[in-house]
Amino acid sequence: MQRNRPPSAQTIRVLRALAADPAQWRYGYDLATEVHLKSGSLYPILVRLADRGLLETSWEPGAGSRPPRHMYRLTLGGREFVAALGTARADRTVPHPRSRWSEA
Amino acid sequence: MGGFVGIMCLLGIGIAMFRRSPQAFLDGPSEDMPTRLLRWAVGLLSAQRAEWGQAMLGELDYLDGRVRRLRFTLGCVIAALLLPPWGRAAAGVWAMIAVAVGSIGLYASVAIRYRLNAGDWVWAAILVLLLAGYLLAAGALLRRPGVAVPGLLGGLFVALASLTLSGFTFYGVIGTIPATWEKLVLMIGVPLAVGAAGTLWGRDPVIGRRVARLAAISGGLGLYLYGTLAVAVLGAGGPPEDTGWTVRYIVSDRLGSNLIHDLLMTTLVTATFGWAGAAAARRRGGSPAPTLPGPFIPPASPDPQQEA
Repeated sequence: MQRNRPPSAQTIRVLRALAADPAQWRYGYDLATEVHLKSGSLYPILVRLADRGLLETSWEPGAGSRPPRHMYRLTLGGREFVAALGTARADRTVPHPRSRWSEA
Repeated sequence: MGGFVGIMCLLGIGIAMFRRSPQAFLDGPSEDMPTRLLRWAVGLLSAQRAEWGQAMLGELDYLDGRVRRLRFTLGCVIAALLLPPWGRAAAGVWAMIAVAVGSIGLYASVAIRYRLNAGDWVWAAILVLLLAGYLLAAGALLRRPGVAVPGLLGGLFVALASLTLSGFTFYGVIGTIPATWEKLVLMIGVPLAVGAAGTLWGRDPVIGRRVARLAAISGGLGLYLYGTLAVAVLGAGGPPEDTGWTVRYIVSDRLGSNLIHDLLMTTLVTATFGWAGAAAARRRGGSPAPTLPGPFIPPASPDPQQEA
């Protein structure tokens, strides 16, 4: 059964960072730095967003001996989700960012 | 006997590391520690998450600075350890958590009941750390393909062999000093058999080694729970006749002996000799079965920066 829990504050930060320039592909570490998340929090969030079809991924070919690099951006559904989130959140109290109970 | 077994274990580990990669053993690793650690961790991910493991490894390659790389790696390792799906491995992990928590609870109840001193609570803290490490290692092993069932069966075999030789009694577990042949069977024969059976089961010595490690942890945990239960039931009673010692001292000594023998000795010896058994069975086993999934290879795609 699919659970539709509301996204956590951390997930919302990631979504908003991605939505700032939705056409732009983003790297994992840059995204983590921007939203002040550790990699251990960021990657599970990205995995869940991709599972829900809100995030698309792609590989940037590696230059020289370097490996390919994974990149992320919102899908059309992801952009709509963020837009709807903004509308829905406007009338509600934003949860405390330290709250762990509503992790995505 | 204990010293001999310890030296044999260290020697066995050295030989196994040399045989696995002589060049790396002599020259040192070719990759830095964060890369090796992350490469190990992403190997725990299920096949459907392999792409994410490669994503973490690829990202790490673009990071500079030892501290930054290490911090990124540690986060990714935690993510890789916890990232679902766990499948059937989850049941094994929960079972082992139950055994570990039961052991800690029994230890604490005995320590409170017999009003043991501060030193025993220090041992309790060590016990908690040790069990946490074992559970982490077991969680990693259980997620490897083809390891969970033979590993847990191997652990059951290790525990049953030990309990059989002690007569399946609490007195036997606490008070019996095994004969030399019994020690040889438990410390060498059983672990060799478990490692060899693991290789034959998975038709791959890598699986055999992992089976031996999981058997070592699960068998050690099971024996420790049984031993602690025996102390909880018997207290200072039963053979041998410990005259001249206080009840508190005897109980404390028995708890400590359980920890050293069941959790440290049994685990280390089973893992090491099991490793040897797994390697030895490779010569007799057939060709490796394709049970280990290959690494995820990122698809060659046009530069998406240009698409955007």
